[in-house]
Amino acid sequence: MKASFRDELVPVSALNEYVYCPRRFYYQRYQDEIGTPYELVDGRSKHERQSRRGGWVRERYFRSNDLGLHGKIDLVESNDETLTPVERKRAESAEYYPSDEVQLAGYCMLLETALDESVNVGYIYLYSTDQRYAIQITENHRKTVREIVRHIRTMTVDSIPPLTDNPSKCEACSAREYCMPEETAMLEPDKAKGTGFEREERR
Amino acid sequence: MKASEGMFDESVIFVTKQGTQVRTDEGRIVVWDVDGDDGELASYPTEKLDTINVFGGVNFSTPFVARANEHGIVLNYFTQNGKYRGSFVPERNTIAEIRRAQYALSDDDELDLAKAMIAGKIRNARTLLSRKGVHGTDVLKDLGVRAENATNKDGLRGTEGEAAERYFNRLDETLTDGWTFEKRTKRPPEDHINSLLSLTYVMMKNEVLSGLRQYNLDPFLGVLHADRHGRPSLALDLQEEFRPIFCDAFVTRLVNRGVITHDDFTADNHLADEAFKTYLSKFDDYMQEEFTHPHFEYSVSRRKAIRQQVILLRKTMTGEMDEYHALTFDR
Repeated sequence: MKASFRDELVPVSALNEYVYCPRRFYYQRYQDEIGTPYELVDGRSKHERQSRRGGWVRERYFRSNDLGLHGKIDLVESNDETLTPVERKRAESAEYYPSDEVQLAGYCMLLETALDESVNVGYIYLYSTDQRYAIQITENHRKTVREIVRHIRTMTVDSIPPLTDNPSKCEACSAREYCMPEETAMLEPDKAKGTGFEREERR
Repeated sequence: MKASEGMFDESVIFVTKQGTQVRTDEGRIVVWDVDGDDGELASYPTEKLDTINVFGGVNFSTPFVARANEHGIVLNYFTQNGKYRGSFVPERNTIAEIRRAQYALSDDDELDLAKAMIAGKIRNARTLLSRKGVHGTDVLKDLGVRAENATNKDGLRGTEGEAAERYFNRLDETLTDGWTFEKRTKRPPEDHINSLLSLTYVMMKNEVLSGLRQYNLDPFLGVLHADRHGRPSLALDLQEEFRPIFCDAFVTRLVNRGVITHDDFTADNHLADEAFKTYLSKFDDYMQEEFTHPHFEYSVSRRKAIRQQVILLRKTMTGEMDEYHALTFDR
């Protein structure tokens, strides 16, 4: 029997990691090979500072066996009795990613399970630009969240996800030294079939 | 393609100055002159380091050792003359799946890995000789094919031994006037050139060993070298492909360029203290020197290329890659 997430709750942050790159997520989950990116360290220290200021509800932990999810929401804003989760990102590139939306959707779903009422909007806040974006959580988001939870819970150490289909994601990835995507494609081209690293005849 | 940013380039440091202490200071690792008055001799960012090699009378502060553990930094202890004494190995908590894969290798899996390593070594032996203008090495080519086709470990060891003998017979021709290589002798090396080869193999073994530890492979469970108490067989196995092209090439460079001369040795064929310091600094420079990677086509330091081989080995052991791709140079 191989270890998997089958009976464990999936942390909401894992949704983001998985959407970004399932292979990177695999390394993180099973092999501790992603390094500690600067972004993460810096983000942590920002969270610490921010969460000491007054006002909102912060760092609230939620879990749901039905969703198979658990996680801590950075910040929950309350306005006119409506609770809205806020996910804060460092976002050097001054934009957020689809994976951030999925993570936010996960928080909204957790929150609505806890409140037993629907939460259809969440915010993504970017430190780099001091901008806040309201995200409408769609049925598509919810479906994606459920699918990813299923993928993660059935993942095993024996099946490594393929290389990413979008090599530009590798540029900032701290697992790259270990992952060796381009190198793998050169040494064993069949491993790159159907990924972003598949290439025509080599020079 | 470009090599990704230098995680390994400054990852190994050598501390040779006697009477120093390695300690921490505001997130950096500092070498401090405790016996003398020089104060801070060098400092390094903790995140970058993965190995510290210390020679002789160097000590570590307790907070430093705690930090080394936390950051996965391996500490290797040597005598002042470079004899390996032991290591501090940090605990890492995610090794189970990797070790399980390594221990589960079948005899056939091990033979396949060993064949790739030995065939790579023989290929590189030919390449080194040819780079130095030594030709007529077709017999090595044949032995390389024989290694690739070996059906058991004993046969492979035999082929390896024969290739080594043929290769060392020709190594003499790569040396400048005043240096000769009669035959390979060890424990103890009987002449200066053998002494330099032995020392370089120890230094390289420790590069490989640190790499294996970094990636949670068990260096003591080899694929070809026979098990022997206290012998890091896997490190010795993986080292094979690097011996001619990195180790022997380094030694010939040292003597051919006159960096090391016969006067640098003591009566028992050891490098004298000053020469040994020169040797270590040249070795470290050599490991950081870049070359064009023969398979990946980008420029990479020797040290990083060795770490990459550890990663490739691990990927083969865990089934992520189909076969082990030795680091081989065709010319």
